[in-house]
Amino acid sequence: MAPDIDDLDDEIRGHLAISIKQRIERGEDPSAARLAALKEFGNVTLTRDSIRRVWRHRWIDAAEALGRDIRFAVRSLLRVKGLAATVIVTLALGIGANAAIFSVVRGVLLRPLVNRDEDRLIYIRQSGPGIGAQNMTFSVPEVKDLRSRVRTLSAVGEFSTVDFTLIGLGGDPRVVKAGVVDGSFFDVMGLRPVLGRLVTMQDDGPKAAGVAVLTYRFWSISLDSDPSVVGRTIRLGPRTATVIGVLEPSVPYPADTEIIANVVTSPHHLSATMETNRSHRMTELFGRLAPGTSIDAARAELSTVHAAIMREHPESYASKANVQVTVSKLRDQIASPARTILIVLLAAAAVVFVIACSNVANLILARSVRREGELAVRAALGAGTGALRRTLLAESLVLCAAGAMLGLLLARPFVAAVASYAGRFSIRALDVTVDSSVLWVGAALAIAAAVVLAYVPRLPSPHAPAGLGLATGVRITPGTNRRLRLFATTQIALSFVLLAGAGMLLATLVAMQTANTGVDMRRVLAFDVPTSASGAGMGDPKVINFYQETARRIGQLPGVDQVALSMLVPWRDRFGPGIGFGVDGYTPANGEENPRARFRVVSPSYFAVLGLPLIEGRDFTDADRRGSELVAIVSQSLAQRLFPNGDALNRHMWWIDDYFGRVVVPRRIVGIVADLDDENIVQGPAMAVYQPVQQIGVVGRVLVHAAGDPYSLVPAVRRVVREMSADQPVERAATLEDVRAELLSPDRLNAFVFSGFAGIALLIAVVGVAGVLAFSVSARTREFGIRLAVGSAPRHVLGRVLGEGAVIAAIGVAAGAVGGYLLAEVSTRFFADARLPGAVPVLGSTAVLIAAAVAASLMPAARASRVDVLQALRSE
Amino acid sequence: MAKHSDDQRLELLQGTLDMLILRTLQWGSQHGHGIGQAIRAQSDELLKVETGSLYPALHRLVKRGWLKAEWGVSEANQRAKYYQLTAAGKAQLSRERDRWSQLVDAIGRIMNPAAAGEE
Repeated sequence: MAPDIDDLDDEIRGHLAISIKQRIERGEDPSAARLAALKEFGNVTLTRDSIRRVWRHRWIDAAEALGRDIRFAVRSLLRVKGLAATVIVTLALGIGANAAIFSVVRGVLLRPLVNRDEDRLIYIRQSGPGIGAQNMTFSVPEVKDLRSRVRTLSAVGEFSTVDFTLIGLGGDPRVVKAGVVDGSFFDVMGLRPVLGRLVTMQDDGPKAAGVAVLTYRFWSISLDSDPSVVGRTIRLGPRTATVIGVLEPSVPYPADTEIIANVVTSPHHLSATMETNRSHRMTELFGRLAPGTSIDAARAELSTVHAAIMREHPESYASKANVQVTVSKLRDQIASPARTILIVLLAAAAVVFVIACSNVANLILARSVRREGELAVRAALGAGTGALRRTLLAESLVLCAAGAMLGLLLARPFVAAVASYAGRFSIRALDVTVDSSVLWVGAALAIAAAVVLAYVPRLPSPHAPAGLGLATGVRITPGTNRRLRLFATTQIALSFVLLAGAGMLLATLVAMQTANTGVDMRRVLAFDVPTSASGAGMGDPKVINFYQETARRIGQLPGVDQVALSMLVPWRDRFGPGIGFGVDGYTPANGEENPRARFRVVSPSYFAVLGLPLIEGRDFTDADRRGSELVAIVSQSLAQRLFPNGDALNRHMWWIDDYFGRVVVPRRIVGIVADLDDENIVQGPAMAVYQPVQQIGVVGRVLVHAAGDPYSLVPAVRRVVREMSADQPVERAATLEDVRAELLSPDRLNAFVFSGFAGIALLIAVVGVAGVLAFSVSARTREFGIRLAVGSAPRHVLGRVLGEGAVIAAIGVAAGAVGGYLLAEVSTRFFADARLPGAVPVLGSTAVLIAAAVAASLMPAARASRVDVLQALRSE
Repeated sequence: MAKHSDDQRLELLQGTLDMLILRTLQWGSQHGHGIGQAIRAQSDELLKVETGSLYPALHRLVKRGWLKAEWGVSEANQRAKYYQLTAAGKAQLSRERDRWSQLVDAIGRIMNPAAAGEE
């Protein structure tokens, strides 16, 4: 152990005492002896310090030396401010982007949920990959069977989503998305109330009182965290419920709802269909692993039990649907939609970082060539390789630390931007903030960069003739030149990959934005006027009358050309996959499935409002009502595919699906209308069957063709509806143009973010190419001087340097194309929807890069062609 | 008092002080002052060890585990720290002794080739 100060002092005092005593014994005068002893000992403080230094850890010595080096580095970097600033900003961009994306990835994919024992919490899903149903959910009889048979789960919670018309929490009647849960749900989820209580077992069953829990977001944002709401009675459609509590902040899954109510609030949940129909599925299932069981055990047991249930009820599980049950941790389930996009972003950020580093490496390399003289002098004066390396390390540490600090400042807005972007894929991204992990990532990246950069320049070799290095002027060895070009090429290659990727996304976006839907998108205004408000069943004549009268009155408003009713708004609402049907005169070939068509319900003049031309036959009329002949209109591609001879009209069709029961209800085809692919913006062939509202009774959307500005009609339309029924919500008024814009916003965001990355990469690469060429030109002043002296035209010199820039870019693009192709090949193994960019993005990126490289070489080239011959020749 | 004037005194070769300390402690423990005096006396006053070098060297050797130190009372009835060879120190002493004789031998051959040849 190191001795303390007192110990050292004692030792020195002892030494002096012995020395004095010996002198006195030899006969010296005591005071003279004392002086002589002190003189002989020398400097006490110095000796004590050197003893202490012996005991000091060698890391402290190293740190002290590094401190000296860092002070030296700061001084020498201040002499090259421009270079230092470029390096710092470049590194800051790379580090900032990475730190931001990493903190979002951590927050979304890795952070535990707030739920109690969240790693025991699982999500159970039933899917039918055979019919493209990713999430079939469960029916009540299925849930009952699973509950009674599964032993690996200690409890199972049910959640289903319904729309309620909410009245009583301020404001107009609104349709809100609500969760309907059983009494075990909150216990399974492990969530607590911040106010009041949550739904428990006592709220189960048809006899219980209606109760509702508010979600934290709704309570804090819409209700200003008003604690007095607990105990208030609200109306949910036809029923009432008491607000019993507020849920703690938690990730809303499977749906972001404003309220969560018990089963009794939803008439539908108490109906016989819900209770007994095994195919009537709308419940999401959550489970808590029993103590001592693993998720694998639960997975195995659930699939065994599920298989047994399917064998017992074959009629509810079509064999072609290939129904199966999957089990995942809730946390992973919530993260899964964002996983791909975040990993891709992380990769893009890493590429930007590599580009930034190779650019900085270039600048540092160029600088170290310029200071070879200085390094040679220091080596000649006895600085060892270690000391020189340490000097370089100190410089790159200073640069990287400054870059990291600036990068972390940038990370805050980056995180906000990326989080709001990722929020579209995972709700968890919304509350991601900059945390200490960003600091660690930033520091780690900076240190990694610093170490790499310190080893980029070559040190003066002890074997090299010293005279050469000591001489003034800059010489580039072929090795250094190769390295400079290698780094520049790397930047171009990586930028190419990012540019081509961004170009691909942009091309997709442009294709979608300019796609012609055949519909007058700007003039058609769509409203949600939901039926659920009245609580009346499907096909209720009163409901149909209400909508018909509403449409009639809206049609009389000034500025309205035409009005139509529909069951859905094109591109906004979804109605599941196509439904199988039969039609006389068409028999599917042996083994072929029944044809499928989109099920649509529209009023007369729907096609006129959208501007879809009738190809043959007639439109629906008010005479196509309940009790009259059942009719249908089919889309053009349906008619052409099934009846290539053009004789589709007047044939009869009927739906074949459990949804409609087993009864065959034939409808006569009275018209053929142009295709409308109301699910995709880029139009494809769409097989659709339209039926009149009056004969089916499914409705809830109003479409208005406006003569002038569509949005100016909104208040009038709302007033008309309210006059008919005060509690009727009128919502989401938007033109089809804006519906499309909304639909495209994820694509727009994707394109925007990747273009951002590609832009940064391009900028850095341009700086890199310009830097390399500028340096190469300044080092070859003599060469250009000689060329000009022996008669080279300045434009030849200019062309030569421009050519060098173009060659670097061309090699980079080629390397990037090969690398990008390999990358795409590899990534198709991990991401199903990875694809290669088309010719336009590839050619576009190539052109952009070559142009950028040539532009970047313009300035150095101009300088080369203007070299002063005499001065150049005299300079050495 | 001093048998040699300052310019006659020899500078210690770098690295030899450690060996001399180990050698001095071969027969028993001693405090810093005693070690310094012993080296001077045994070299007939040709070598003088500065305390500024002696004490850091002692501590360095303790740190390496070749010496151990404990407090004792000197002949002058003073509290003093006594240094003593450890087993590792003894092994180190014999290594340094070998190395030293090789070095002397090698330098001797160069400086005095004839003499080396006669042997």
